[in-house]
Amino acid sequence: MSELELRQTTVDAEAAHDRESSRRGPRVGTVVAGAFVILLLTAAAFPALVATQDPNAISATEAFQPPSAAHWFGTDESGRDVYSRVVAGTGTSLLIGVTATAIGLALGLLLGVLASFGGRVVDFGVGRLVEVLFAFPGLLLALLVIVVAGPGPVTATIAVGLSTAPGYARIIRGQLVSIRSSQYVEAARVLGRPPRRILTAHLLPNALLPLVVLATLGIGQAIVWAAALSYLGLGAQPPAAEWGAMLSAGRTYLQTAWWMTVFPGLAIVGTTIATTVLGRALARRERGAR
Amino acid sequence: MTGRPAGTGVPAPGRTHRARTARHLALLLGGAVFVLWAVATLTFFAIRLIPGDPAQAILGGPGSQASQEALDQVRSDYGLDQPLVVQYFAMLGRLLTGDLGTSYSLKVPVAELLGAQIGGTLLLAVCSLAAAWVLALALSLWSTGRGRIASALGQGIELVAAALPHFWLAAVLIAVFSTGLGWFPPVATGTPAGFVLPVTTLAIPLAGFLAQVMRESLIDAMRQPFVVSARARGESALGIRFRHTIRHAALPGISLSGWALGWLLSGAVVVETIFAMPGLGRTLLQAVTLRDIPVVTGVVLLVALVYVVMTVLTDLVARIADPRLAQEGAR
Amino acid sequence: MRTATPPARRSRTVGLLAVAVAGGVLLAGCQADEAPVSEEPVAGGTLRYASGDAEPSCLDPHVGGNYPQALLASQFLESLVSRDESGEIIPWLAESWEASADGLSWEFTLRDDVEFTDGTPFDAEAVKVNMEHLQDPATQSSTGYLALGKVDRVEVVAPDVARFVLTAPDSALLESLSQPWLAIESPAGLARGMEENCQAPIGTGAFVVDGWVKQERVSLVRNDDYVSPPADAEHEGPAYLEAIDWRFVPDAASRYAALQGGQVDVIDNPQPDTIAAADESGAFAWLDAPRPGASNRIELNSGQAPFDDERVREAFLAAVEVDDGIDALYFGTAGRSYSALSSVEALAYSEPELFATDLDRADALLDEAGWTERDDDGTRMKDGTRLVLRFPVSTNQSVPAEQSLFEQVQATAKEAGFDVQISLLDLSSWYGALFAHEYEIVSAPYTKVGPDVLRILYHSDSITPAPSGYFANLAQVNDPEIDALLAEAASTSDPAERAAQYEEAQRLILGGHYLLPLYDQQNSFLLSPKVHGARALPTVSTPSFSDAWLAE
Repeated sequence: MSELELRQTTVDAEAAHDRESSRRGPRVGTVVAGAFVILLLTAAAFPALVATQDPNAISATEAFQPPSAAHWFGTDESGRDVYSRVVAGTGTSLLIGVTATAIGLALGLLLGVLASFGGRVVDFGVGRLVEVLFAFPGLLLALLVIVVAGPGPVTATIAVGLSTAPGYARIIRGQLVSIRSSQYVEAARVLGRPPRRILTAHLLPNALLPLVVLATLGIGQAIVWAAALSYLGLGAQPPAAEWGAMLSAGRTYLQTAWWMTVFPGLAIVGTTIATTVLGRALARRERGAR
Repeated sequence: MTGRPAGTGVPAPGRTHRARTARHLALLLGGAVFVLWAVATLTFFAIRLIPGDPAQAILGGPGSQASQEALDQVRSDYGLDQPLVVQYFAMLGRLLTGDLGTSYSLKVPVAELLGAQIGGTLLLAVCSLAAAWVLALALSLWSTGRGRIASALGQGIELVAAALPHFWLAAVLIAVFSTGLGWFPPVATGTPAGFVLPVTTLAIPLAGFLAQVMRESLIDAMRQPFVVSARARGESALGIRFRHTIRHAALPGISLSGWALGWLLSGAVVVETIFAMPGLGRTLLQAVTLRDIPVVTGVVLLVALVYVVMTVLTDLVARIADPRLAQEGAR
Repeated sequence: MRTATPPARRSRTVGLLAVAVAGGVLLAGCQADEAPVSEEPVAGGTLRYASGDAEPSCLDPHVGGNYPQALLASQFLESLVSRDESGEIIPWLAESWEASADGLSWEFTLRDDVEFTDGTPFDAEAVKVNMEHLQDPATQSSTGYLALGKVDRVEVVAPDVARFVLTAPDSALLESLSQPWLAIESPAGLARGMEENCQAPIGTGAFVVDGWVKQERVSLVRNDDYVSPPADAEHEGPAYLEAIDWRFVPDAASRYAALQGGQVDVIDNPQPDTIAAADESGAFAWLDAPRPGASNRIELNSGQAPFDDERVREAFLAAVEVDDGIDALYFGTAGRSYSALSSVEALAYSEPELFATDLDRADALLDEAGWTERDDDGTRMKDGTRLVLRFPVSTNQSVPAEQSLFEQVQATAKEAGFDVQISLLDLSSWYGALFAHEYEIVSAPYTKVGPDVLRILYHSDSITPAPSGYFANLAQVNDPEIDALLAEAASTSDPAERAAQYEEAQRLILGGHYLLPLYDQQNSFLLSPKVHGARALPTVSTPSFSDAWLAE
């Protein structure tokens, strides 16, 4: 079982409890999370609207200033406005999280579909391949990819994406297998529909929705791993304001300028929580509708 | 769950339970050997893609002033002038005899080098796993069945914990417990006190993950008929939790342990650097920086071996903890 | 050193030489402070040292030859000569020396009472074996090998007289020999072969390598028969300390926290903000020992476009503003440099006017050079080419404060229309980028005793890469006049002439707009108040603990 499968079971179990409870309508947490995600998306799409200053404008004489009315989140070691950098970093960080997740999902989908439709031999082969990918734990795989392809944000994103692929593959295979044996697919088959049509009309739509849910849960974790690569000096490149890179740069000054790490840290934690809460809410709706 | 071979059908009727188990074990071990071979092969060929000359890495790394003769000498000494296929089978042959080669930078056998490091890293990982288990169990026991507020609080703590990057958590823990309170040393000293902060750093995010899954299992377990009847018999709530439900909560946790160990080894790269502990993670990071290919390959294989062993073990433990699995055979 | 007050805050204008003097003041201060209390050195105890430099892959500094090796080797190996505070060469394992009139032969009279810690006698034969070891390609020496470039052979004249025969006069020979990378090891130790010798080289130093646990520590124990301190040492005879526990602690914050928690007594490479805090509170003594050789500077690659045009180089220097950044990021612990050489080099020549920021001038120069168009980002263009400067930065060689400073360089250069593209790379990728000439600006520290480092960095011979791809002339300076001056200075035996030639060479190098000096190669140590008598050797500023002792 992997972290992703864990999330999957958690989501399933929660949805089951919810069905038993008689509560209707969205929860408070979901609303707050939704608002936060909208804020994030706005910051990512229109950083200039949300930021108060140029995120890369240095002013060495204003370095290390604590939060104030002029600088809501204080200034960093080059006198840049931390708030504006957190805003500017939203796009980069989300992009890393979303792209990495998309890479993992795409690869996982490919492997999962192959495994569930390729017959027993292919299924066995893919199963072993997934095992092999699992044998390279996240950061180790990332380091290997970086050795081969050289460090940088693109490599880091691909590496994080690759390391999540086996988890997705196994879940997708499991879901496709269970849907395939479900009654409506049986019915379609009995009615003589061609296999390809069954795949596109019935299997994928039913397997994809839960995947979207799962993907929202994976974004936050991808950002955290990318941050670890930034700490090792193998992630985002300056002056790009990326949360992980900001966190790692600010860590040096933790005892003199706490604001340099606390605010990007809150952004990462907040994003992870918000996407998780939203993902679970989506899952509840999806289960409820089924 | 990991290690269970995909595609094996329902066992034929009439076969004994023992035969099923034997077949399952054989598949499990065969799969394990396959994974190790594939990891070795993948790593071997991936590393050929690395830009740069291995001979140069051997001769003092980048920035050295090695002469052309010295480079040629090293190429022939290390067999780097042989065709790729020859090098590949030579490597496999060496691996079969347990020979991982010689470190380019440190010039000592890789097996010896890693042998000295793996103990520390495994101890760190196992202690962190245990600590994460205790934390997760405590959190999930505390936060379930106590109403919405406790549940929401518990979920919130889990989510925050799981989202904390190691390097940042480590810095905060050092600032609070070393510099501030002076309780624990910031640099691992080999003493139990020096172990506290690294273990805590690794355990907290992992506990966040484990608690999420445990809480759900606990909720399920609490609704089981035997718990309901125990409650009807008037057993205390705490007693019920400990006697009946932990086993259920533990089951998904056990099967997660293989993944968790790999996850912890990833975290060890960062944690060993911050707390200045010798270990596999730091070895790997250094080897990557110096392009010390034999060491990188060695670490990758070792980690794969640990993963494979853990997978087999967790599969067996899960079977013992839940006999239904053994009966049902592979899915 | 208990109350040792590090030098009062220096004004930046005093700058350069002040830093060198400050190091001396600090040391003098330490020693002066001890006297009034008339505390006698206490023998015994283990000094715990936390090093942030990379862990060497081999403890023998002959192999390769980098700074982390020098740090450790200074504890157990010794050189033929040393350097005192004023930069004068002083006796160490060699008592005296004399060059022939043509400068092609140097005779060193050696101490005859010294033994290596394995019992092998130190003699002329040992010197010969060591120099041959350094020149043997199989040793894989880089630093030492280069330093002996003009040494043809060493002859044993008498057991205590070694003669160096040169192929050309070498005014830098003594400076080269003072470096830990050319330290003298036991011939019997070298004969064990590289693998064994790397684990525990055998020397004549105050301490002996007792064990090396990879990634954790090197244990050093006292050499009880120690008799050979350099001429400027405080005391004769064995060290006061019983042992040194040398730990590798890569994370700077952890290192400082360990010092604060009393887990270690000395740390190196502290973060500038912690130096400032320690300095202000007086909790720890600050040993400020800039490295010799080159200053920390940004080199401009004049070998390819756009910096093959001197006007563009000059425009870059006029556009970039670093003074405020150095102040803010280094908290006043680093003085601005305007020289290619470290301020500890007596022959360092500075020219501050060359590095004044003047955006208008930068704009005018770029317009004149044809970079007149601008794209949407404000980056200048010429014939459709953007004015891009690739800046590979080694994460293994640049501390966080320096990386931040580079970001400020990036931001200020942007205003003039330069698009500086920083890439943070690990060491191997960084060298890869340099070897492939994929850089327009780069910062590469180079430590060597004496101004001869200029020949290594700016002589056109250093453009030709070694078989490994390495070349030291990163600015690609190719000026026959500079070549001639550097070659003459390296072979003259007249100190005044040498000084004049080096000054002229530096004038030409600085005037050619090939580099942007930032500050000295920062090399600081923080010491617990318990530690007394520690100092940095005035050769390559590595710490020495042969006179150090721990108060109760």
